[in-house]
Amino acid sequence: MIAHDVALPPLHVEKLPSGLTLLAVQKRGLPLFHVRLSLPAGACEDPRGKAGLAQFTVDLLRRGTRRRPAPDVDEMIESMGAQLFADVSMEEAALALTVPSELSERALDALLEVALEPAFDENEVAAARRRTIAALQSDLDEPSTVAGRALVTLGYGPGHPYAHPAQGFRRDVDTFQREDALSFHATRYQQQGGLLAAVGQSSPAELIELLKRKLGQWEASWPGRSQRSPLQFAALPPGHATRAVIIHKPDSTQTQVRIVSTGVPRSTPRYAEAVVANTALGGGFTSLLVDAIRVDRGLSYSVSTRLHMNRRAGLSVFASFTKNETLRELVDVAMEKMRAYAASGPSNDALEKARTYLAGLFPLGLESHEALGEQIADALLDGLGLEHLKTYRSRVLAVAPEPAREMAAELSPARDGALLIAVGDADAARSALDGLCPVEVRQLEEFA
Amino acid sequence: MPLSESDFPVQEHSLKNGLQVRLLRDASLPVCTLYSFFRVGSRNERPGITGISHLFEHMMFNGSKKYGPKEFDRRLEAAGGTSNAYTSNDLTAYYEDFASEALPLVLDLEADRMASLVIDDASLARERDVVKEERRFRTDNDIDGMMDEALGALTYLAHPYRWPVIGWMSDIEAITRKDCESYFRQYYAPNNCTLVLVGDFEPETALREIEKLYGPIPAVPPPPAVPSGEPPQKGERRAVIRYPSQAPALLAGFRGPDGRDPDSLVLDLIEAALSSGEGARLKRALVYEQELCVDSHVYFGWRMDPGPFEISLKLNPGVDPSRAEGALWAELLRICDEQMPQRELERARNLVRSHLLRALATTNGRAHTIGQMEVMLGTWRALLDLPDRYAAITAADVRRVAQKTFAPHRRNVITLIPGEVEA
Repeated sequence: MIAHDVALPPLHVEKLPSGLTLLAVQKRGLPLFHVRLSLPAGACEDPRGKAGLAQFTVDLLRRGTRRRPAPDVDEMIESMGAQLFADVSMEEAALALTVPSELSERALDALLEVALEPAFDENEVAAARRRTIAALQSDLDEPSTVAGRALVTLGYGPGHPYAHPAQGFRRDVDTFQREDALSFHATRYQQQGGLLAAVGQSSPAELIELLKRKLGQWEASWPGRSQRSPLQFAALPPGHATRAVIIHKPDSTQTQVRIVSTGVPRSTPRYAEAVVANTALGGGFTSLLVDAIRVDRGLSYSVSTRLHMNRRAGLSVFASFTKNETLRELVDVAMEKMRAYAASGPSNDALEKARTYLAGLFPLGLESHEALGEQIADALLDGLGLEHLKTYRSRVLAVAPEPAREMAAELSPARDGALLIAVGDADAARSALDGLCPVEVRQLEEFA
Repeated sequence: MPLSESDFPVQEHSLKNGLQVRLLRDASLPVCTLYSFFRVGSRNERPGITGISHLFEHMMFNGSKKYGPKEFDRRLEAAGGTSNAYTSNDLTAYYEDFASEALPLVLDLEADRMASLVIDDASLARERDVVKEERRFRTDNDIDGMMDEALGALTYLAHPYRWPVIGWMSDIEAITRKDCESYFRQYYAPNNCTLVLVGDFEPETALREIEKLYGPIPAVPPPPAVPSGEPPQKGERRAVIRYPSQAPALLAGFRGPDGRDPDSLVLDLIEAALSSGEGARLKRALVYEQELCVDSHVYFGWRMDPGPFEISLKLNPGVDPSRAEGALWAELLRICDEQMPQRELERARNLVRSHLLRALATTNGRAHTIGQMEVMLGTWRALLDLPDRYAAITAADVRRVAQKTFAPHRRNVITLIPGEVEA
């Protein structure tokens, strides 16, 4: 029996008048210091026709600042034994560094310089454009990457701010100029809506003091807020009939399968019910689908359902793969099991198992400096608050059968209107899916 | 900065049947990790049953005397835990991450399958299908996987590192229940295992439980020695793969030292200098300056026998592989011919040290590191003085080991060319 909620380590949260949130977390043990800056500059902010600009901008940050060229930026960071994390999610751009404790001031200086003073040198922009285009083409060799790119593009549908992969498309990246990155940085890398977190051995008060002292050096040059148009997050249109898209990858002996339906945003008040219902369906190794597809039939090595929860919308996704010869069998079993689950919800045993599984493993997600900083930062930025983490275990353990059943019906990826994506040999996949639903074949290159 | 034993108060015990037990209490979070390291991997196989170590890893989840089919994970997840395992060339490791309340159950589950695993034909048939899917996923339809498999077969003529851990497809299909039973008896004995428990538990109680559950399991005679011979390489070896990819790729390998050879630590620093971080030599030269590659990676892991140092280049579409290869050899020549600047050596040391520290940041990471040190280096204590040993490596050491390892006659090169194989 899982005993109690998990206490967070000593921490302090402070919102500055500029709109920037400061977070300080004391973590004893290993002599490490972690700093993370999250900014409202994620992929959903990509302007129309500029898919990938948020990622392109964050990639360019380390390619030179106004104080030093790219090789010197690398030297500044890596001589500390650190590697810069710089990436975007749908919502945020995030930069992070973990260094030995004694280098905490240097790490903060380096992170803020990279984030706030990029040079966006013309030659670096051109080189980054060539690299990104080459990488996007190269990604077509990874069937699971192609499936991932297709599911956000097709799952959210045209015009939705989440409806493109963070890396963008070649046709858009090809148009990126220095001015695009400059403008994106000037309007999105603002204090309003941002969060600067430090996780280290010092007390929260000492860490906050350090953050404020360092911020003081940037106050004049870092804009507090900028004017920009709000994004339009229209509700995802309900689909009416199941359809399939085959993405042709020649010579594949195995097909990647995704079944996608509308999900829930991360801010849903029924978060606990959603994760419990998903875990029982395809979250753990003994979930319904893993049992049916892998353990009972040996059809695949990997089977899962995942809730892609963004701040304002989400998808519910079934993911697996199998040899071409058993594609239809896998799809039939998955659809049948998911439909039955939507009707009945988890059994009492499955519900109990899912609740305890999630509650028992929850503390593992708070272990490292990086995980602790990210989890708390995300909870604050998503507006869920610290209570989201503090009460996670008790909320999950309290999920009752009826709400779990309702969520099972609401989140099953196999609902009417589901989208089936198959990445593999088109002839084999078309023949396998014959008679199941309308099928459209798309070329691999469309997803680069 | 050495790691202090006071930071790592690992308790060491050995049961009469030879089972090694390492316990490290850490009550900062209400979780534990249990690792069972078995000293068996693909190096213990022979042609005809390649892949049995990995297939067997799958079979370990299919039921034992007390806990029948599907029970292992069902009980574990219902108690707030999760399990996984991996097989390498040298070892097979099983682990459970779990709420600390589940410790008695987890020990019982693990001890039961070591004592009395049940192997039946039906579960073997299903698991064989799962492994074949894994092989299609990781190797047959994956560029890195197919190149890595080809490099092993090129670099080694006689040693079992020649075949892939997952095994050849025809061997996976042919392995019998009898093969599995014999493999289990030979290698899954307490005297071939190190148990590592880290987390929120009472060491005395845990040790008593371990003695009670594992103590009655009999030891077996030590496994046969692995044929570790390999003739010296007398010239460069090459192979070409044709595959309908978007771009060419290159994988180069050099046979290096074994994990206990001090030169392994020097190669760890060379690996960091060549490929860790954006400022690493290969990334800077081949990706940023010459724009030949989308990405470059170096992989060198400690092995029980002399293991490979591998360099992987994912080329930009349209780049001539010979140009990228020339640029790679030029960078390796620089490591061999020129003394590495002190600042760069320091950077490599710091990156390796940080990597080690970060591996110790989680319960699972600490348990894994302790077990890996035991199995690969003979004692977990090797962890404590690793930072000092890296600090003592000089620029002259780097040059000496580079010259020995990267000599042109020791090259093994796989080139992947986009296109179809002509029938």
